[in-house]
Amino acid sequence: MTRLLLALIAAAVLVALPPFLGLGWQNTLTNMLIAALFAAAFNLLMGQGGMLSFGHAAYYGLGAFAVLHLMLAIENGFNFPTALLPLAGAGVGLLSGLGAGYFAAKRTGVYFSLVTLALAELLHAIAPHWQGLFGGEAGLSSMRMPSWGLEFGTSLEVYYVTLAWVVVSIGLLYAYTLTPFGRLTLALRDNEQRVRFMGFDPHRTKVLVFGISAMFSGVAGGLMAMSQETANYNIFSMAISSQVVLQTFVGGSTLFLGPVLGAAVLTVFTFLISEMTRAWMLYQGILFVLIMLFAPNGIAGVIQLHIDARDRLPWARLTGPYALATAAGAVATTGLVMLVHYAELVFADAYRARVARDGLWEPVSAFGIDWNPLNPVTWLVPLALIVLGIVGILKMRGPIAQLWATPANIPPTAAMPAPHAA
Amino acid sequence: MEFVTLSLLNGAIYGMLLFMVSAGLTLIFGMMGVLNFAHASFYMLGAYFAYTLSGMFNFWVGLIVAPLMVGVVGVIIERTLLRRVHRHGHAHELLLTFGIALICEELVKLFYGDFPVNYQMPAELNFSAFTVFGTNYPFYRLFIGLVAVAMFAALLIVLTKTRIGIIVRGAERLPKMAEALGHNVPLVFMGVFGAGAALAGLGGAVAGAFYPTNPNMALDLGVIVFVVVVVGGLGSLEGSLVASLLIGIFTSFAVGLDWSIAGLLGVVGLGGVAEAIGGPLTLTLSSASGTVPFLMMLIVLLVRPAGLMGSRN
Amino acid sequence: MSHHSHPPVSDEVLVIRDVHKAFGGLVIMRGIDLTLKRGERHAILGPNGAGKSTLFNLISGNFPPTSGEILLNGREIQGLPPERINRMGLARSFQITNIFGRMTAFENNRMGVLARHGVRFDLLHRIAKRSDINDEAEAILNQVRLGHRIRTQAADLSYSEQRSLEIGMTLATGPDVILLDEPTAGMSREETAYIVELIREVTTGKTLLIVEHDMSVVFSLCNRISVLVYGQILATGAPEEIRANKAVQEAYLGEEAA
Repeated sequence: MTRLLLALIAAAVLVALPPFLGLGWQNTLTNMLIAALFAAAFNLLMGQGGMLSFGHAAYYGLGAFAVLHLMLAIENGFNFPTALLPLAGAGVGLLSGLGAGYFAAKRTGVYFSLVTLALAELLHAIAPHWQGLFGGEAGLSSMRMPSWGLEFGTSLEVYYVTLAWVVVSIGLLYAYTLTPFGRLTLALRDNEQRVRFMGFDPHRTKVLVFGISAMFSGVAGGLMAMSQETANYNIFSMAISSQVVLQTFVGGSTLFLGPVLGAAVLTVFTFLISEMTRAWMLYQGILFVLIMLFAPNGIAGVIQLHIDARDRLPWARLTGPYALATAAGAVATTGLVMLVHYAELVFADAYRARVARDGLWEPVSAFGIDWNPLNPVTWLVPLALIVLGIVGILKMRGPIAQLWATPANIPPTAAMPAPHAA
Repeated sequence: MEFVTLSLLNGAIYGMLLFMVSAGLTLIFGMMGVLNFAHASFYMLGAYFAYTLSGMFNFWVGLIVAPLMVGVVGVIIERTLLRRVHRHGHAHELLLTFGIALICEELVKLFYGDFPVNYQMPAELNFSAFTVFGTNYPFYRLFIGLVAVAMFAALLIVLTKTRIGIIVRGAERLPKMAEALGHNVPLVFMGVFGAGAALAGLGGAVAGAFYPTNPNMALDLGVIVFVVVVVGGLGSLEGSLVASLLIGIFTSFAVGLDWSIAGLLGVVGLGGVAEAIGGPLTLTLSSASGTVPFLMMLIVLLVRPAGLMGSRN
Repeated sequence: MSHHSHPPVSDEVLVIRDVHKAFGGLVIMRGIDLTLKRGERHAILGPNGAGKSTLFNLISGNFPPTSGEILLNGREIQGLPPERINRMGLARSFQITNIFGRMTAFENNRMGVLARHGVRFDLLHRIAKRSDINDEAEAILNQVRLGHRIRTQAADLSYSEQRSLEIGMTLATGPDVILLDEPTAGMSREETAYIVELIREVTTGKTLLIVEHDMSVVFSLCNRISVLVYGQILATGAPEEIRANKAVQEAYLGEEAA
């Protein structure tokens, strides 16, 4: 019941809030929704099917180009409702996914991943030379045409169309998990051999899973094309394939909503941070590595752990250690940010040019104070903060682990055995 | 004739460079089952460390110390990061190395800037080795090849003639058995990972002075190195060598050839039709030279995943 | 009930004819002839390395024989993929427990039931609504006496519970011929007796081929035994005949007695 309530609240916020936000935020939310769908589609293959694809940008990109071609056709008079543009992405995504999956699924493990990588890189290498299909190096551009009485001119309208498509698509992806084929997908991930010996054809199953995953990736790409009104060969790059992998695992691959969460968090995080520092990708990378090391099931996994144990955890006693650990984490993060910030300033080309020219090391400013780069204190302070923070977290590990291990607090009356009739 | 000679020479040397980087990668995969996404990052770090050291001291210090530094980085990564996620499986390790590669690239951008740095070869090596068809052939290219050959010879001797080498090969075949025999397999893993990293670092240190040294070099070379180890056979050093040379020479030739399918069809009079259809038919080999390695990798993966000389599947 | 439409052709439900298997230069099966009669419980005995698992793999389709035929209900199955053979009415269990660890015991069984009903690519229905399938899966779980563990994750079951589940999953696909690969491996005496009773119950009316090491299991459960030594069948017959067979005693039982 609470899950439904949370979903409704989230839906309400997503519907009601955007008109009050600036263009930058509206755009970011659109991007966030698209990333969430892409990640959810990716995780159909990964988390449920157990197949790690390093080239999912291929189907995302093909979906984008399909939609752009359709948009160009509409511009030239072809009668097709703009709101239904992502269907082209779905169609092309499905077909290309079935085709690619047929070959990729002949291999398992790292070989499977390499096949998907090769396919995407092949596309990435060919596209800039293919004028007709991909617009060569410049790519394709088009414009959204009015249809169904709507102009599709503002980013708000784009947002709502995206929202509708993403909600429906994620809903369908969730419904997938409730079908017999959805259960078969999970079984395939767990034990492919057993699935064979039970009378299922694993190759055909994998191909269909791949196709469906690619289909929804194509929808996501199509939505991006609709929103940006342009795409070029770079949409097939490793950067795009990497982003979805990052987002999925930061959110957590083992839960259905994990990738959605990861995509949301990272998209918003990137939007906020990229204004302030060029090193936002570094922070993403560090976050990803930390999660891979200490929370392999992602943020959603950690949340799920707590939800599952909510009845037996001594919440009151946990707040202390959790607060301290969070504070320690904040301290360490502050130190890290300071270090990166200094490095960014001191190692910047312009700064070094000035040093070479004038021999003068200008102070870098943080927290309103001017720090002298030549003074070791400048670097020791953030280092100390990082060390302090890490020590703090480590110190809290013991108490937190202990609190997790304590049995549920059973009220005395319930613990007593009920009298039995002889 | 000139074209063929130069392409052959350049291709062979580029192939040797590829081998320097892919040797470590294939060894690491053969031993630990992990495809190290961060391997090309070691190549990049080698170049950048060498650049800094050559600035502070001289080129030769950079050439010798940079690979060692990269080796240390490799050992630290294996010991503190990879070992921790070993129990979660190969896919997890792969993802972790992927994250490490990302961080390496960003750190390089942070400290050195998001553009190439001016890592130059030393004056004493900057001369022409010989003249070939009127073109001066830079000695440094040969130098790269020489370093690679020396590295291969050293590797071969260590792996086949020394005790360490035998232990390493034993641990690669049957890690549990090697452990049962009393060898410290985790230490071997750490050592191999570090050595592999150092080799890639050496490649970067020596190549960075000739080719551009920029934050993209990891990604650019990295994907080709993947192709090399797959085509050669994951885990096979000899396969890596053969595949490196193959791909190096092919790329070298392809870049200079303007052949296309349309051109081929032109021989039988269908040139006009092909031109009209356009698309991949008019694609010249020189433009597609980046594509073909991936096609090779795809074909190998689908037809014979063990590659040219690999035995694992 | 079962989706296998082929009516029983004869009394001989599984025929293995002069089957050889070599892996490169290594010869494992050197000409196996074996006939399984409908409804019988047939054991394969033999020392380790005799080829018992290889025989199972050959029959169930894991790999094809180098030469020879295997017929199921009169139809040739050698070289067919495992999924085809399973759909023709033969199912096997595995010596090393081969279950879906991250799904519940109920779901593990349900996969087999889905296969039996031919539901392979259904994307349109909610599986929770298929009460016929769900009821059947639960029934099988009860048959292997795991009804109380219905919601437990398979990986969390005890070893013998997992072996019971393994048998349940083998049954769930509705086979006529069941191959059980060392179902009591690693079990205590009580657990073994329990599993034997279970096997006896659930294989009533079906044909059973079982690989076993435990003599007491074989002699109490089976009506015919074949002894496999170095890739050849040394002897086939009723338990008493086998027990009395001198060659068998030397080759196999002699080792056990010693």
